[in-house]
Amino acid sequence: MGVGVPTHMSLEGPAIRIEGLVKDYGAVHAVRGIDLEVRRGEVFGFLGPNGAGKTTTIRCLLDLLRPTAGRITVLGLDPRRDGIALRGRLAYMPGELRLPERLTAAGLAAAIGRLRGGLDTRRRDELAARLDLDLDRRMRDLSSGNRRKVALLLAFLADAELLVLDEPTNGLDPLMQREFLHLVREARERGTTVFLSSHVLSEVQRAADRVAVLRNGKVLVLGGVEELRRRARQRVEVWFEGPPPAQELAVLPSLTDPHVEDHRFAAILAGPIQPLLEVLARHPVVSLLVEEPDLEEAFLDLFEAAS
Amino acid sequence: MSGRWVELVFGPFRASWRAGLGWSIGLALLVVSTVAFWPAFRGSSGISQAIDQLPAPVVQAFGLQGFGTPAGYLRGGLYELVVPLLFAAAGIMFANTAIASEEDAGRLELYLAQPVSRTAFLAGRSVAVFGWVLVLTVVVLISQLASDAMFGLQIETGRVIATIVLCAVLGAFHAGLCIAVAGAAARPGRLLSVGFSVAYAGYLVRALFSLSDVLAPWRHLSPWDWALGSDPLVNGAEAWRFGLLAATGVLLAVAGVVAFARRDIRSA
Repeated sequence: MGVGVPTHMSLEGPAIRIEGLVKDYGAVHAVRGIDLEVRRGEVFGFLGPNGAGKTTTIRCLLDLLRPTAGRITVLGLDPRRDGIALRGRLAYMPGELRLPERLTAAGLAAAIGRLRGGLDTRRRDELAARLDLDLDRRMRDLSSGNRRKVALLLAFLADAELLVLDEPTNGLDPLMQREFLHLVREARERGTTVFLSSHVLSEVQRAADRVAVLRNGKVLVLGGVEELRRRARQRVEVWFEGPPPAQELAVLPSLTDPHVEDHRFAAILAGPIQPLLEVLARHPVVSLLVEEPDLEEAFLDLFEAAS
Repeated sequence: MSGRWVELVFGPFRASWRAGLGWSIGLALLVVSTVAFWPAFRGSSGISQAIDQLPAPVVQAFGLQGFGTPAGYLRGGLYELVVPLLFAAAGIMFANTAIASEEDAGRLELYLAQPVSRTAFLAGRSVAVFGWVLVLTVVVLISQLASDAMFGLQIETGRVIATIVLCAVLGAFHAGLCIAVAGAAARPGRLLSVGFSVAYAGYLVRALFSLSDVLAPWRHLSPWDWALGSDPLVNGAEAWRFGLLAATGVLLAVAGVVAFARRDIRSA
Protein backbone atom coordinates (compact mmCIF):
# COMPACT_ATOMS: atom_id res chain seq x y z
CA MET A 1 0.00 0.00 0.00
CA GLY A 2 1.02 3.63 0.10
CA VAL A 3 3.09 5.13 -2.68
CA GLY A 4 3.80 3.03 -5.74
CA VAL A 5 1.75 1.69 -8.60
CA PRO A 6 -0.79 -0.82 -7.30
CA THR A 7 0.28 -4.27 -8.40
CA HIS A 8 -3.24 -5.30 -9.42
CA MET A 9 -3.48 -2.58 -12.01
CA SER A 10 -4.03 -3.60 -15.61
CA LEU A 11 -3.39 -0.83 -18.05
CA GLU A 12 -5.31 -1.87 -21.14
CA GLY A 13 -8.25 0.14 -22.37
CA PRO A 14 -9.82 3.26 -20.89
CA ALA A 15 -10.67 3.50 -17.20
CA ILE A 16 -14.31 4.27 -18.01
CA ARG A 17 -16.16 3.90 -21.27
CA ILE A 18 -19.78 5.00 -21.48
CA GLU A 19 -21.70 4.44 -24.71
CA GLY A 20 -25.19 5.75 -25.31
CA LEU A 21 -26.15 5.76 -21.64
CA VAL A 22 -29.84 6.47 -21.04
CA LYS A 23 -31.58 6.40 -17.68
CA ASP A 24 -35.26 7.16 -17.22
CA TYR A 25 -37.19 7.25 -13.97
CA GLY A 26 -40.69 6.69 -15.21
CA ALA A 27 -41.43 9.74 -17.33
CA VAL A 28 -38.34 11.62 -16.14
CA HIS A 29 -35.35 11.41 -18.47
CA ALA A 30 -32.37 11.85 -16.14
CA VAL A 31 -29.72 10.83 -18.66
CA ARG A 32 -30.47 11.12 -22.38
CA GLY A 33 -27.59 9.48 -24.20
CA ILE A 34 -24.11 10.04 -22.79
CA ASP A 35 -20.94 8.92 -24.54
CA LEU A 36 -17.55 9.47 -22.98
CA GLU A 37 -14.23 7.89 -22.24
CA VAL A 38 -11.99 8.46 -19.25
CA ARG A 39 -8.34 7.54 -19.79
CA ARG A 40 -6.32 5.58 -17.29
CA GLY A 41 -4.44 7.77 -14.86
CA GLU A 42 -6.16 11.05 -15.66
CA VAL A 43 -8.21 13.32 -13.44
CA PHE A 44 -11.50 13.71 -15.27
CA GLY A 45 -13.90 16.50 -14.37
CA PHE A 46 -17.61 15.80 -14.72
CA LEU A 47 -19.13 19.22 -14.64
CA GLY A 48 -22.76 20.25 -14.73
CA PRO A 49 -25.44 22.21 -12.92
CA ASN A 50 -27.59 20.40 -10.35
CA GLY A 51 -29.95 17.98 -12.03
CA ALA A 52 -27.79 17.58 -15.13
CA GLY A 53 -27.50 13.82 -14.62
CA LYS A 54 -24.05 13.61 -13.00
CA THR A 55 -25.07 11.57 -9.98
CA THR A 56 -27.32 9.31 -12.04
CA THR A 57 -24.43 8.53 -14.39
CA ILE A 58 -22.09 7.85 -11.46
CA ARG A 59 -24.60 5.56 -9.78
CA CYS A 60 -24.84 3.58 -13.01
CA LEU A 61 -21.04 3.10 -12.92
CA LEU A 62 -21.42 1.49 -9.48
CA ASP A 63 -24.39 -0.68 -10.44
CA LEU A 64 -26.55 1.13 -7.89
CA LEU A 65 -28.77 2.02 -10.85
CA ARG A 66 -29.55 -0.11 -13.87
CA PRO A 67 -29.34 1.84 -17.16
CA THR A 68 -32.42 2.06 -19.37
CA ALA A 69 -30.11 1.73 -22.38
CA GLY A 70 -26.44 1.92 -23.24
CA ARG A 71 -23.21 0.19 -22.33
CA ILE A 72 -20.77 0.87 -19.52
CA THR A 73 -17.31 -0.59 -19.05
CA VAL A 74 -15.26 0.36 -16.00
CA LEU A 75 -11.65 -0.86 -15.67
CA GLY A 76 -12.53 -3.31 -18.43
CA LEU A 77 -15.42 -4.77 -16.42
CA ASP A 78 -19.20 -4.73 -16.70
CA PRO A 79 -20.60 -3.06 -13.54
CA ARG A 80 -23.59 -5.40 -13.54
CA ARG A 81 -21.91 -8.73 -14.26
CA ASP A 82 -18.57 -8.16 -12.55
CA GLY A 83 -19.82 -5.77 -9.88
CA ILE A 84 -18.02 -7.32 -6.92
CA ALA A 85 -14.63 -7.43 -8.63
CA LEU A 86 -15.11 -3.94 -9.99
CA ARG A 87 -16.17 -2.36 -6.70
CA GLY A 88 -13.12 -3.95 -5.09
CA ARG A 89 -10.95 -1.90 -7.44
CA LEU A 90 -12.71 1.44 -7.15
CA ALA A 91 -13.68 3.71 -4.30
CA TYR A 92 -16.78 5.87 -4.34
CA MET A 93 -17.70 8.92 -2.39
CA PRO A 94 -21.43 9.78 -2.57
CA GLY A 95 -22.52 13.35 -3.04
CA GLU A 96 -25.43 13.17 -0.63
CA LEU A 97 -23.85 11.88 2.54
CA ARG A 98 -26.02 9.66 4.69
CA LEU A 99 -23.73 7.95 7.16
CA PRO A 100 -24.76 5.61 10.00
CA GLU A 101 -25.56 8.03 12.82
CA ARG A 102 -24.34 5.99 15.75
CA LEU A 103 -20.99 4.86 14.39
CA THR A 104 -17.76 6.75 14.94
CA ALA A 105 -15.48 7.50 12.00
CA ALA A 106 -13.12 4.79 13.26
CA GLY A 107 -16.03 2.34 13.55
CA LEU A 108 -17.23 3.12 10.05
CA ALA A 109 -13.72 2.78 8.62
CA ALA A 110 -13.44 -0.61 10.35
CA ALA A 111 -16.83 -1.74 8.98
CA ILE A 112 -15.94 -0.69 5.43
CA GLY A 113 -12.52 -2.29 5.93
CA ARG A 114 -14.18 -5.62 6.76
CA LEU A 115 -16.29 -5.38 3.60
CA ARG A 116 -13.21 -4.52 1.52
CA GLY A 117 -11.04 -7.18 3.11
CA GLY A 118 -8.54 -4.98 4.88
CA LEU A 119 -7.88 -1.74 6.73
CA ASP A 120 -4.58 0.13 6.69
CA THR A 121 -4.68 1.76 10.12
CA ARG A 122 -1.49 3.74 9.52
CA ARG A 123 -2.93 5.27 6.37
CA ARG A 124 -6.21 5.91 8.22
CA ASP A 125 -4.45 7.85 10.97
CA GLU A 126 -2.34 9.74 8.47
CA LEU A 127 -5.43 10.79 6.49
CA ALA A 128 -7.32 11.73 9.65
CA ALA A 129 -4.44 13.97 10.70
CA ARG A 130 -4.25 15.61 7.28
CA LEU A 131 -8.00 16.18 7.18
CA ASP A 132 -8.02 17.31 10.81
CA LEU A 133 -10.69 14.74 11.66
CA ASP A 134 -11.42 13.25 15.09
CA LEU A 135 -11.93 9.52 14.47
CA ASP A 136 -13.68 8.91 17.78
CA ARG A 137 -16.72 11.11 17.32
CA ARG A 138 -20.06 9.73 16.25
CA MET A 139 -21.48 10.70 12.86
CA ARG A 140 -24.51 12.36 14.38
CA ASP A 141 -22.25 14.77 16.31
CA LEU A 142 -20.33 15.82 13.19
CA SER A 143 -20.97 18.94 11.12
CA SER A 144 -21.63 18.49 7.41
CA GLY A 145 -18.04 19.53 6.67
CA ASN A 146 -16.71 16.90 9.05
CA ARG A 147 -18.98 14.22 7.56
CA ARG A 148 -17.54 15.15 4.20
CA LYS A 149 -14.08 14.55 5.67
CA VAL A 150 -15.16 11.11 6.86
CA ALA A 151 -16.31 10.24 3.34
CA LEU A 152 -13.07 11.57 1.85
CA LEU A 153 -11.09 9.52 4.35
CA LEU A 154 -13.00 6.37 3.37
CA ALA A 155 -12.47 7.03 -0.34
CA PHE A 156 -8.75 7.72 -0.11
CA LEU A 157 -8.20 4.91 2.39
CA ALA A 158 -9.23 2.25 -0.12
CA ASP A 159 -6.08 1.88 -2.21
CA ALA A 160 -8.22 1.93 -5.39
CA GLU A 161 -7.37 2.10 -9.08
CA LEU A 162 -10.28 4.43 -9.70
CA LEU A 163 -11.72 7.09 -7.43
CA VAL A 164 -15.27 8.19 -8.17
CA LEU A 165 -15.97 11.36 -6.23
CA ASP A 166 -19.39 13.01 -6.42
CA GLU A 167 -19.25 16.69 -5.42
CA PRO A 168 -16.37 15.96 -3.04
CA THR A 169 -15.73 19.43 -1.66
CA ASN A 170 -19.32 20.44 -0.89
CA GLY A 171 -19.24 22.01 2.57
CA LEU A 172 -15.45 21.89 3.00
CA ASP A 173 -13.66 25.04 4.09
CA PRO A 174 -11.00 26.49 1.73
CA LEU A 175 -8.12 25.00 3.72
CA MET A 176 -9.58 21.50 3.39
CA GLN A 177 -10.38 22.09 -0.27
CA ARG A 178 -6.64 22.67 -0.75
CA GLU A 179 -5.83 19.49 1.17
CA PHE A 180 -8.29 17.68 -1.05
CA LEU A 181 -6.47 18.90 -4.16
CA HIS A 182 -3.20 17.60 -2.68
CA LEU A 183 -4.82 14.21 -2.12
CA VAL A 184 -6.09 14.12 -5.69
CA ARG A 185 -2.65 15.01 -7.07
CA GLU A 186 -0.96 12.36 -4.95
CA ALA A 187 -3.49 9.79 -6.14
CA ARG A 188 -2.77 10.72 -9.75
CA GLU A 189 0.96 10.44 -9.16
CA ARG A 190 0.37 6.90 -7.93
CA GLY A 191 -1.42 6.16 -11.21
CA THR A 192 -4.97 6.32 -9.87
CA THR A 193 -7.70 7.52 -12.20
CA VAL A 194 -9.97 10.13 -10.63
CA PHE A 195 -13.52 10.79 -11.81
CA LEU A 196 -14.61 13.99 -10.16
CA SER A 197 -18.08 15.46 -10.45
CA SER A 198 -18.80 19.05 -9.55
CA HIS A 199 -21.04 21.97 -10.27
CA VAL A 200 -18.21 24.42 -9.58
CA LEU A 201 -16.00 25.27 -12.53
CA SER A 202 -13.01 26.48 -10.53
CA GLU A 203 -12.77 23.26 -8.53
CA VAL A 204 -12.61 21.19 -11.69
CA GLN A 205 -10.19 23.66 -13.29
CA ARG A 206 -7.75 23.25 -10.46
CA ALA A 207 -7.90 19.48 -10.32
CA ALA A 208 -8.77 18.02 -13.71
CA ASP A 209 -6.93 17.27 -16.93
CA ARG A 210 -10.02 16.89 -19.07
CA VAL A 211 -13.61 17.86 -18.54
CA ALA A 212 -17.06 16.94 -19.77
CA VAL A 213 -19.79 19.51 -19.32
CA LEU A 214 -23.23 18.04 -18.80
CA ARG A 215 -26.64 19.56 -19.11
CA ASN A 216 -30.10 18.00 -19.16
CA GLY A 217 -28.65 14.53 -19.29
CA LYS A 218 -26.35 15.11 -22.25
CA VAL A 219 -22.66 15.93 -22.70
CA LEU A 220 -22.39 19.43 -24.17
CA VAL A 221 -18.61 19.70 -24.39
CA LEU A 222 -15.78 17.30 -23.86
CA GLY A 223 -12.27 18.60 -23.88
CA GLY A 224 -9.15 19.85 -22.15
CA VAL A 225 -9.53 22.04 -19.15
CA GLU A 226 -7.65 24.92 -20.86
CA GLU A 227 -10.07 24.97 -23.75
CA LEU A 228 -12.97 25.04 -21.36
CA ARG A 229 -11.50 27.89 -19.39
CA ARG A 230 -11.30 29.95 -22.58
CA ARG A 231 -14.96 29.38 -23.26
CA ALA A 232 -16.13 30.23 -19.77
CA ARG A 233 -17.51 33.68 -19.00
CA GLN A 234 -16.43 35.61 -15.95
CA ARG A 235 -17.95 38.48 -14.07
CA VAL A 236 -15.72 41.56 -13.81
CA GLU A 237 -16.12 44.45 -11.40
CA VAL A 238 -13.77 47.44 -11.30
CA TRP A 239 -13.77 50.38 -8.90
CA PHE A 240 -12.07 53.52 -10.24
CA GLU A 241 -10.86 56.58 -8.37
CA GLY A 242 -12.86 58.74 -10.74
CA PRO A 243 -15.71 57.99 -13.15
CA PRO A 244 -15.16 54.77 -15.12
CA PRO A 245 -13.83 55.17 -18.71
CA ALA A 246 -17.09 53.81 -20.04
CA GLN A 247 -16.47 54.61 -23.70
CA GLU A 248 -13.07 52.94 -23.81
CA LEU A 249 -14.50 49.88 -22.13
CA ALA A 250 -17.57 49.79 -24.35
CA VAL A 251 -15.54 49.09 -27.46
CA LEU A 252 -13.85 46.00 -26.02
CA PRO A 253 -15.36 43.03 -27.89
CA SER A 254 -14.88 40.60 -25.00
CA LEU A 255 -17.10 42.60 -22.63
CA THR A 256 -20.88 42.34 -22.62
CA ASP A 257 -23.69 43.54 -20.44
CA PRO A 258 -21.82 46.59 -19.04
CA HIS A 259 -23.12 48.54 -16.04
CA VAL A 260 -21.78 51.85 -14.75
CA GLU A 261 -22.68 53.17 -11.34
CA ASP A 262 -20.70 56.03 -9.73
CA HIS A 263 -17.12 54.79 -9.67
CA ARG A 264 -17.99 51.19 -10.31
CA PHE A 265 -17.97 49.34 -13.61
CA ALA A 266 -19.34 45.80 -14.01
CA ALA A 267 -19.57 43.52 -17.04
CA ILE A 268 -19.36 39.95 -18.24
CA LEU A 269 -16.04 38.92 -19.75
CA ALA A 270 -16.04 36.27 -22.45
CA GLY A 271 -12.65 35.80 -24.04
CA PRO A 272 -9.11 36.97 -23.22
CA ILE A 273 -8.68 39.40 -20.34
CA GLN A 274 -5.60 41.12 -21.80
CA PRO A 275 -7.41 43.96 -23.71
CA LEU A 276 -9.32 44.83 -20.55
CA LEU A 277 -6.15 44.93 -18.47
CA GLU A 278 -4.58 47.26 -21.01
CA VAL A 279 -7.44 49.74 -20.67
CA LEU A 280 -7.40 49.49 -16.89
CA ALA A 281 -3.66 50.10 -16.78
CA ARG A 282 -4.21 53.59 -18.18
CA HIS A 283 -6.64 54.60 -15.43
CA PRO A 284 -6.41 54.86 -11.64
CA VAL A 285 -8.05 51.61 -10.47
CA VAL A 286 -8.90 51.19 -6.78
CA SER A 287 -9.98 47.56 -6.87
CA LEU A 288 -10.58 44.74 -9.33
CA LEU A 289 -12.73 41.66 -8.92
CA VAL A 290 -12.92 38.80 -11.42
CA GLU A 291 -15.21 36.04 -10.33
CA GLU A 292 -16.76 32.90 -11.60
CA PRO A 293 -20.50 33.03 -12.09
CA ASP A 294 -22.52 29.84 -11.66
CA LEU A 295 -22.23 27.25 -14.35
CA GLU A 296 -25.36 28.21 -16.26
CA GLU A 297 -24.06 31.75 -16.63
CA ALA A 298 -20.45 30.78 -17.29
CA PHE A 299 -21.50 28.69 -20.25
CA LEU A 300 -24.54 30.73 -21.22
CA ASP A 301 -23.83 30.65 -24.95
CA LEU A 302 -23.06 26.96 -24.81
CA PHE A 303 -26.20 26.14 -22.88
CA GLU A 304 -28.36 28.41 -25.04
CA ALA A 305 -27.06 26.84 -28.20
CA ALA A 306 -27.94 23.43 -26.81
CA SER A 307 -31.51 24.27 -25.82
CA MET B 1 -16.91 -16.82 8.70
CA SER B 2 -14.91 -14.22 6.82
CA GLY B 3 -14.76 -10.62 7.99
CA ARG B 4 -17.11 -9.70 5.18
CA TRP B 5 -19.88 -12.00 6.41
CA VAL B 6 -19.31 -10.94 9.99
CA GLU B 7 -19.93 -7.36 8.92
CA LEU B 8 -22.90 -8.20 6.67
CA VAL B 9 -24.73 -10.01 9.49
CA PHE B 10 -23.47 -8.52 12.74
CA GLY B 11 -23.23 -4.94 11.49
CA PRO B 12 -27.02 -4.60 11.07
CA PHE B 13 -27.67 -6.90 14.07
CA ARG B 14 -25.62 -4.63 16.33
CA ALA B 15 -27.19 -1.51 14.83
CA SER B 16 -30.61 -2.71 16.13
CA TRP B 17 -29.49 -3.46 19.68
CA ARG B 18 -31.43 -0.62 21.28
CA ALA B 19 -34.68 -1.74 19.66
CA GLY B 20 -33.82 -5.36 20.51
CA LEU B 21 -33.20 -4.51 24.14
CA GLY B 22 -36.48 -2.57 24.33
CA TRP B 23 -38.48 -5.45 22.83
CA SER B 24 -36.77 -7.94 25.15
CA ILE B 25 -37.53 -5.95 28.29
CA GLY B 26 -41.11 -5.28 27.18
CA LEU B 27 -41.88 -8.92 26.38
CA ALA B 28 -40.24 -10.20 29.56
CA LEU B 29 -42.23 -7.73 31.69
CA LEU B 30 -45.45 -8.66 29.92
CA VAL B 31 -44.96 -12.39 30.48
CA VAL B 32 -43.79 -12.12 34.08
CA SER B 33 -46.49 -9.66 35.12
CA THR B 34 -49.23 -11.75 33.49
CA VAL B 35 -48.10 -14.95 35.20
CA ALA B 36 -47.74 -13.05 38.48
CA PHE B 37 -51.54 -12.70 38.60
CA TRP B 38 -52.10 -16.43 38.14
CA PRO B 39 -52.30 -17.19 41.90
CA ALA B 40 -55.23 -14.75 42.13
CA PHE B 41 -57.10 -16.52 39.29
CA ARG B 42 -56.27 -20.10 40.21
CA GLY B 43 -59.44 -21.94 41.04
CA SER B 44 -61.45 -18.72 41.24
CA SER B 45 -64.87 -19.69 39.99
CA GLY B 46 -66.04 -16.05 39.83
CA ILE B 47 -63.94 -15.22 36.78
CA SER B 48 -64.94 -18.42 34.99
CA GLN B 49 -68.59 -17.67 35.66
CA ALA B 50 -68.18 -14.11 34.41
CA ILE B 51 -66.61 -15.42 31.21
CA ASP B 52 -69.46 -17.90 30.82
CA GLN B 53 -71.82 -14.93 30.72
CA LEU B 54 -70.07 -13.54 27.62
CA PRO B 55 -71.36 -14.46 24.15
CA ALA B 56 -69.62 -17.58 22.86
CA PRO B 57 -68.05 -15.82 19.83
CA VAL B 58 -66.35 -13.31 22.10
CA VAL B 59 -65.01 -16.03 24.35
CA GLN B 60 -63.64 -17.85 21.33
CA ALA B 61 -62.22 -14.77 19.61
CA PHE B 62 -60.13 -13.89 22.63
CA GLY B 63 -59.36 -17.46 23.59
CA LEU B 64 -61.01 -17.12 26.99
CA GLN B 65 -62.42 -20.64 27.29
CA GLY B 66 -61.12 -22.43 30.36
CA PHE B 67 -59.68 -19.28 31.88
CA GLY B 68 -59.48 -20.88 35.29
CA THR B 69 -57.06 -23.59 34.10
CA PRO B 70 -53.30 -22.94 33.59
CA ALA B 71 -53.51 -23.54 29.82
CA GLY B 72 -56.67 -21.45 29.49
CA TYR B 73 -55.17 -18.61 31.53
CA LEU B 74 -51.98 -18.43 29.44
CA ARG B 75 -53.94 -18.71 26.20
CA GLY B 76 -56.38 -15.94 27.08
CA GLY B 77 -53.80 -13.70 28.74
CA LEU B 78 -50.85 -14.10 26.38
CA TYR B 79 -50.78 -16.63 23.58
CA GLU B 80 -54.06 -16.22 21.74
CA LEU B 81 -53.49 -12.60 20.72
CA VAL B 82 -50.90 -10.50 22.55
CA VAL B 83 -47.68 -12.50 22.22
CA PRO B 84 -48.20 -13.68 18.62
CA LEU B 85 -49.17 -10.13 17.64
CA LEU B 86 -46.07 -8.73 19.34
CA PHE B 87 -43.85 -11.28 17.59
CA ALA B 88 -45.42 -10.32 14.25
CA ALA B 89 -44.93 -6.63 15.04
CA ALA B 90 -41.30 -7.22 16.04
CA GLY B 91 -40.61 -9.07 12.78
CA ILE B 92 -42.19 -6.21 10.82
CA MET B 93 -40.30 -3.50 12.74
CA PHE B 94 -36.89 -5.16 12.55
CA ALA B 95 -37.27 -5.75 8.81
CA ASN B 96 -38.28 -2.13 8.38
CA THR B 97 -35.45 -0.55 10.35
CA ALA B 98 -32.75 -2.85 8.98
CA ILE B 99 -33.73 -2.59 5.32
CA ALA B 100 -36.54 -0.37 3.98
CA SER B 101 -36.12 2.70 6.15
CA GLU B 102 -32.32 2.49 5.84
CA GLU B 103 -32.57 2.48 2.07
CA ASP B 104 -35.23 5.18 2.08
CA ALA B 105 -32.83 7.38 4.08
CA GLY B 106 -30.09 6.74 1.50
CA ARG B 107 -27.89 4.85 3.93
CA LEU B 108 -27.41 1.66 1.92
CA GLU B 109 -25.51 3.36 -0.89
CA LEU B 110 -22.19 3.51 0.96
CA TYR B 111 -22.29 -0.23 1.73
CA LEU B 112 -23.47 -1.32 -1.71
CA ALA B 113 -20.59 0.62 -3.30
CA GLN B 114 -18.23 -1.88 -1.65
CA PRO B 115 -17.20 -5.25 -3.11
CA VAL B 116 -20.27 -7.15 -1.90
CA SER B 117 -23.13 -8.55 -3.95
CA ARG B 118 -26.64 -7.27 -3.51
CA THR B 119 -27.70 -10.82 -2.71
CA ALA B 120 -25.14 -11.28 0.06
CA PHE B 121 -25.93 -7.85 1.46
CA LEU B 122 -29.68 -8.42 1.80
CA ALA B 123 -29.19 -12.02 2.90
CA GLY B 124 -26.96 -10.73 5.71
CA ARG B 125 -29.55 -8.19 6.79
CA SER B 126 -32.29 -10.84 6.65
CA VAL B 127 -30.26 -13.13 8.90
CA ALA B 128 -29.87 -10.21 11.33
CA VAL B 129 -33.67 -9.66 11.33
CA PHE B 130 -34.39 -13.36 11.95
CA GLY B 131 -31.63 -13.30 14.57
CA TRP B 132 -33.52 -10.71 16.60
CA VAL B 133 -36.73 -12.76 16.37
CA LEU B 134 -34.69 -15.66 17.75
CA VAL B 135 -33.35 -13.53 20.62
CA LEU B 136 -36.91 -12.52 21.54
CA THR B 137 -37.97 -16.17 21.43
CA VAL B 138 -35.30 -17.07 23.96
CA VAL B 139 -36.29 -14.11 26.13
CA VAL B 140 -39.97 -15.14 26.15
CA LEU B 141 -39.11 -18.80 26.80
CA ILE B 142 -36.89 -17.96 29.76
CA SER B 143 -39.39 -15.44 31.19
CA GLN B 144 -42.29 -17.87 30.83
CA LEU B 145 -40.58 -20.92 32.31
CA ALA B 146 -39.00 -18.93 35.14
CA SER B 147 -42.24 -17.20 36.12
CA ASP B 148 -44.20 -20.47 35.87
CA ALA B 149 -41.86 -21.85 38.52
CA MET B 150 -41.93 -18.65 40.56
CA PHE B 151 -45.72 -18.28 40.70
CA GLY B 152 -46.60 -21.94 40.79
CA LEU B 153 -48.30 -22.14 37.38
CA GLN B 154 -48.30 -25.84 36.57
CA ILE B 155 -48.37 -26.71 32.89
CA GLU B 156 -46.52 -29.17 30.70
CA THR B 157 -43.24 -27.53 29.67
CA GLY B 158 -43.16 -29.11 26.20
CA ARG B 159 -46.49 -27.49 25.25
CA VAL B 160 -45.41 -24.10 26.53
CA ILE B 161 -42.21 -24.30 24.51
CA ALA B 162 -44.13 -25.43 21.40
CA THR B 163 -46.58 -22.53 21.78
CA ILE B 164 -43.85 -19.91 22.18
CA VAL B 165 -41.88 -21.27 19.22
CA LEU B 166 -45.09 -21.22 17.12
CA CYS B 167 -45.59 -17.55 18.02
CA ALA B 168 -41.96 -16.94 17.08
CA VAL B 169 -42.25 -18.59 13.66
CA LEU B 170 -45.40 -16.53 13.10
CA GLY B 171 -43.14 -13.51 13.79
CA ALA B 172 -40.54 -14.91 11.38
CA PHE B 173 -43.26 -15.33 8.74
CA HIS B 174 -44.14 -11.63 9.02
CA ALA B 175 -40.44 -10.70 9.00
CA GLY B 176 -40.00 -12.71 5.78
CA LEU B 177 -43.06 -11.05 4.26
CA CYS B 178 -41.63 -7.60 5.05
CA ILE B 179 -38.20 -8.54 3.71
CA ALA B 180 -40.00 -9.42 0.47
CA VAL B 181 -41.72 -6.00 0.44
CA ALA B 182 -38.43 -4.22 1.28
CA GLY B 183 -36.65 -6.17 -1.44
CA ALA B 184 -39.19 -5.03 -4.00
CA ALA B 185 -39.03 -1.29 -3.18
CA ALA B 186 -37.62 1.14 -0.62
CA ARG B 187 -40.97 2.12 0.81
CA PRO B 188 -41.21 1.92 4.60
CA GLY B 189 -44.84 3.06 4.56
CA ARG B 190 -45.83 0.27 2.20
CA LEU B 191 -43.88 -2.25 4.27
CA LEU B 192 -45.63 -1.26 7.48
CA SER B 193 -49.09 -1.25 5.96
CA VAL B 194 -48.63 -4.61 4.23
CA GLY B 195 -47.07 -6.17 7.32
CA PHE B 196 -49.68 -4.99 9.81
CA SER B 197 -52.61 -5.56 7.42
CA VAL B 198 -51.58 -9.17 6.92
CA ALA B 199 -51.08 -9.63 10.68
CA TYR B 200 -54.46 -8.13 11.49
CA ALA B 201 -56.32 -9.90 8.69
CA GLY B 202 -54.71 -13.18 9.72
CA TYR B 203 -55.94 -12.75 13.27
CA LEU B 204 -59.47 -11.82 12.17
CA VAL B 205 -59.74 -14.73 9.77
CA ARG B 206 -58.69 -17.16 12.48
CA ALA B 207 -60.87 -15.63 15.20
CA LEU B 208 -64.05 -14.89 13.26
CA PHE B 209 -64.28 -17.36 10.39
CA SER B 210 -64.73 -20.28 12.75
CA LEU B 211 -67.99 -18.68 13.92
CA SER B 212 -69.63 -19.13 10.52
CA ASP B 213 -70.23 -22.53 8.99
CA VAL B 214 -69.73 -21.12 5.50
CA LEU B 215 -66.44 -19.39 6.30
CA ALA B 216 -65.02 -21.89 8.78
CA PRO B 217 -63.04 -23.98 6.24
CA TRP B 218 -61.33 -20.83 4.99
CA ARG B 219 -59.81 -20.04 8.37
CA HIS B 220 -56.97 -22.38 7.42
CA LEU B 221 -55.75 -19.65 5.07
CA SER B 222 -54.60 -17.65 8.07
CA PRO B 223 -50.99 -17.98 9.21
CA TRP B 224 -52.41 -17.51 12.71
CA ASP B 225 -54.39 -20.68 12.22
CA TRP B 226 -51.27 -22.52 11.03
CA ALA B 227 -49.54 -21.40 14.23
CA LEU B 228 -52.27 -21.76 16.82
CA GLY B 229 -54.96 -23.91 15.14
CA SER B 230 -54.21 -26.99 17.26
CA ASP B 231 -54.64 -25.06 20.54
CA PRO B 232 -51.00 -25.92 21.34
CA LEU B 233 -51.08 -25.10 25.06
CA VAL B 234 -53.66 -27.86 25.50
CA ASN B 235 -52.83 -30.28 22.68
CA GLY B 236 -49.30 -29.55 21.55
CA ALA B 237 -48.75 -29.05 17.81
CA GLU B 238 -47.90 -31.07 14.71
CA ALA B 239 -44.49 -30.58 13.13
CA TRP B 240 -45.93 -29.24 9.87
CA ARG B 241 -47.15 -26.10 11.64
CA PHE B 242 -43.59 -25.08 12.50
CA GLY B 243 -42.30 -26.14 9.10
CA LEU B 244 -44.95 -24.39 7.03
CA LEU B 245 -44.54 -21.04 8.80
CA ALA B 246 -40.74 -21.15 8.84
CA ALA B 247 -40.51 -22.28 5.22
CA THR B 248 -42.96 -19.61 4.00
CA GLY B 249 -41.06 -16.94 5.93
CA VAL B 250 -37.72 -18.01 4.47
CA LEU B 251 -39.15 -18.31 0.94
CA LEU B 252 -40.62 -14.81 1.16
CA ALA B 253 -37.23 -13.49 2.35
CA VAL B 254 -35.50 -15.24 -0.56
CA ALA B 255 -38.00 -13.62 -2.95
CA GLY B 256 -37.08 -10.27 -1.41
CA VAL B 257 -33.36 -10.92 -1.88
CA VAL B 258 -33.92 -11.89 -5.52
CA ALA B 259 -36.01 -8.77 -6.19
CA PHE B 260 -33.46 -6.55 -4.43
CA ALA B 261 -30.67 -7.77 -6.72
CA ARG B 262 -32.67 -6.72 -9.80
CA ARG B 263 -33.64 -3.16 -9.14
CA ASP B 264 -32.32 0.38 -8.64
CA ILE B 265 -31.11 1.42 -5.19
CA ARG B 266 -32.62 4.55 -3.70
CA SER B 267 -30.23 7.41 -3.03
CA ALA B 268 -30.71 10.18 -0.48
